[in-house]
Amino acid sequence: MKTVLFLLVFLPFLGALSLAVIGRHLPRRVGEMIACLAVLGSFVMAIIAFVSAGQKSQTVTLLPWFGVGDFSAVMSVYYDPLAAVMALMVTFVSSLIHLYSVSFMREDEDYVRFFCYMNLFVFAMLVVALSDNLLFLYLGWEGVGFCSYALIGFWYSDEVKATAGRKAFVLTRIGDVAFGIAIAFFFLIYNTLSLSSINEQAASLSAGMATALGMLLLWAAVGKSAQLPLAVWLPDAMAGPTPVSALIHAATMVTAGVYLLMRFFPLISLSSTTLLTIATVGAVTAFFAACSALSQKDIKRILAYSTISQVSYMFLGVGAGDLIGGMFHLLSHAFFKALLFLAAGCVIQALNEEHDIFRMGSLRSRFPVVFWLFLAGALALGAIPPFGGFFSKDRILLATFIHPDPAYKILWVLAAVTALLTPLYTFRLFFIGFLERPSATRESSQDKQGLRPVPKLMVWTLWPLAILSLIAGLLNLSSILSGNEWLARYLSPVPGTVPSLAASPALEGRMEMGTGLLSIVMLALSYYLYRPQKFLVTPTPGALPQNLEQLLFFGFYLDRFYQIAVVRPYQKIARFLWVRVDEGGLNEGFDRTGKLFPVFSIGLQLWTTGRLSTYLKMLLLGFTVILCALALGWYPW
Amino acid sequence: MMVPFSHVLLLAVILFALGAACAIARRNLIMILIGVEIMLNAAGLAFVGASLRWQHLDGQAFVIFILAVAASEVAVGLALIVYLQRRTGSVDANRYNLLKG
Repeated sequence: MKTVLFLLVFLPFLGALSLAVIGRHLPRRVGEMIACLAVLGSFVMAIIAFVSAGQKSQTVTLLPWFGVGDFSAVMSVYYDPLAAVMALMVTFVSSLIHLYSVSFMREDEDYVRFFCYMNLFVFAMLVVALSDNLLFLYLGWEGVGFCSYALIGFWYSDEVKATAGRKAFVLTRIGDVAFGIAIAFFFLIYNTLSLSSINEQAASLSAGMATALGMLLLWAAVGKSAQLPLAVWLPDAMAGPTPVSALIHAATMVTAGVYLLMRFFPLISLSSTTLLTIATVGAVTAFFAACSALSQKDIKRILAYSTISQVSYMFLGVGAGDLIGGMFHLLSHAFFKALLFLAAGCVIQALNEEHDIFRMGSLRSRFPVVFWLFLAGALALGAIPPFGGFFSKDRILLATFIHPDPAYKILWVLAAVTALLTPLYTFRLFFIGFLERPSATRESSQDKQGLRPVPKLMVWTLWPLAILSLIAGLLNLSSILSGNEWLARYLSPVPGTVPSLAASPALEGRMEMGTGLLSIVMLALSYYLYRPQKFLVTPTPGALPQNLEQLLFFGFYLDRFYQIAVVRPYQKIARFLWVRVDEGGLNEGFDRTGKLFPVFSIGLQLWTTGRLSTYLKMLLLGFTVILCALALGWYPW
Repeated sequence: MMVPFSHVLLLAVILFALGAACAIARRNLIMILIGVEIMLNAAGLAFVGASLRWQHLDGQAFVIFILAVAASEVAVGLALIVYLQRRTGSVDANRYNLLKG
């Protein structure tokens, strides 16, 4: 088991290492093979570990790391069902995305750097998913942040993209600080950094401390998962290559935050305040992001906002105390969002780097495979029954609804409204960007169908994801639909899980019927609002008033707010310190003082003739004077 | 017959003064170096005389140190002078006045 887990975690690292060291001297095919095989091997190891471990939880030390005095950090993993599912998902999705990237980056000269960072990212993500030692976990946590920075700014010669990378790095770092503080507190309180033993001893915490630690962890998760108030980096992060958006900013890294909360659930669930805050952050962000997604024009930004919104549902699930719902949604989201991003990447490449959905269109006739695959993803994201996202989202809504605390009813209303907005923005994208319309074909009729060829491999990798997106509901099909709730049963040994929600089958049935029907109604509404015929009237049909449309387009002006409230004052202070204090005060002061010395030394200047004999004469004269003084007994003391 | 200590000191003073005069007056770097050597040896002579006068070996031990210092000083000094000669073609001390204020 130890070997399997070691390979599971370190194969991608070895891949990254070998690419970094010798990648440039290898033929292109070999370099790509190394990257893909490292991740595929890791996926195989994840399957072996999954099969052989069953539902057992175990802590395995992989490597010693370092020790100071009586403190020591080891690279150890805590392999429990939660980590097993996460590792399987991460390695599976990354394997497909690596294969996809081989084709996607076919024209890029810098593929070695790209695959090196991708492999390193998978390693760091697996560390986050599996690690038991908190310092090791922090290594992975910072590792995913760094790789995300490096990959968003992958085309660093473009100023906008490099800035987007920096923005993501700085904003996630704001969250990471809280995690660092939390780790220090854990060590102070428990004198250990082992996640499993901290969770075992969690109950001994005082109420205030539990709330404080929970809040610190929440803040860390908020940064990594792009929730309010740190949500603004994710839409900009779409500047990176599309496989990166799919892997890091949809399927895996943004879920790291919510996954951290799940890992610490025994501790977090001690404080109902923390849980309520988590749920509130989730519900509010879900609504915020869904609204913002409604008036974006860039296909990737729509998907980015939908990612924020969907990750918020996972937060809501954790906040409502339903780990399984959160994990269920995490899995189904990983499949359909990776699918949507990769399909969007195919479309973007086929249309010559076109990101604007209003300039796409007519893709059913021009690019039928991707049209249907994207539709599969959209159905899953829009939570249209009976596809992937429907069941997972429904479970979270149900868990929120039946929570005894009345405050959760308000959150439920917010989440339910968001659930209605989800199909609206999803199918707005789909109807505007993909359906037949006269203008699109006219524009592109000059060259044959107006498409650049896209390699077959890119399309092939979408199929497994599409199938999984559509049937992800089977992972945890509710018993009222005669499902066997596999995921719930598998995850049941994880502390704090509630395998089946305490809702009556009647309520559950009504809820599923209600949300299902409403989703379909919203689908129809979005067809009515954004149907292709509208293009005959206006080139960019919007369903909302102009002001509101602008407000949503800029994500409630959150970026502008940070610009005014944080960035500008910071720049002003920095400028003041630089120009006034440093240059004006310190530098100028030293310069002026330095200029005084020549004035003082005008008399001495005459003595420095540069002639050796003068110096010697003076030396001897001085000695003579001193010796005479000594001889005559003129002591100064 | 013992040479009186005062004679030894007198000789040392004369030698020291000659050395100092040489170091100050000459402009050739090699001659300056020789002057310094003479001054060192004058000091050594005074040490040996004093050692004899007070029957103490410390003075002679010092002379050994002075010899070692003088030898290494000459080695470094001559190397520098050779280098300067090669670089500028001159051993005139007055031409090296880069540190003039």
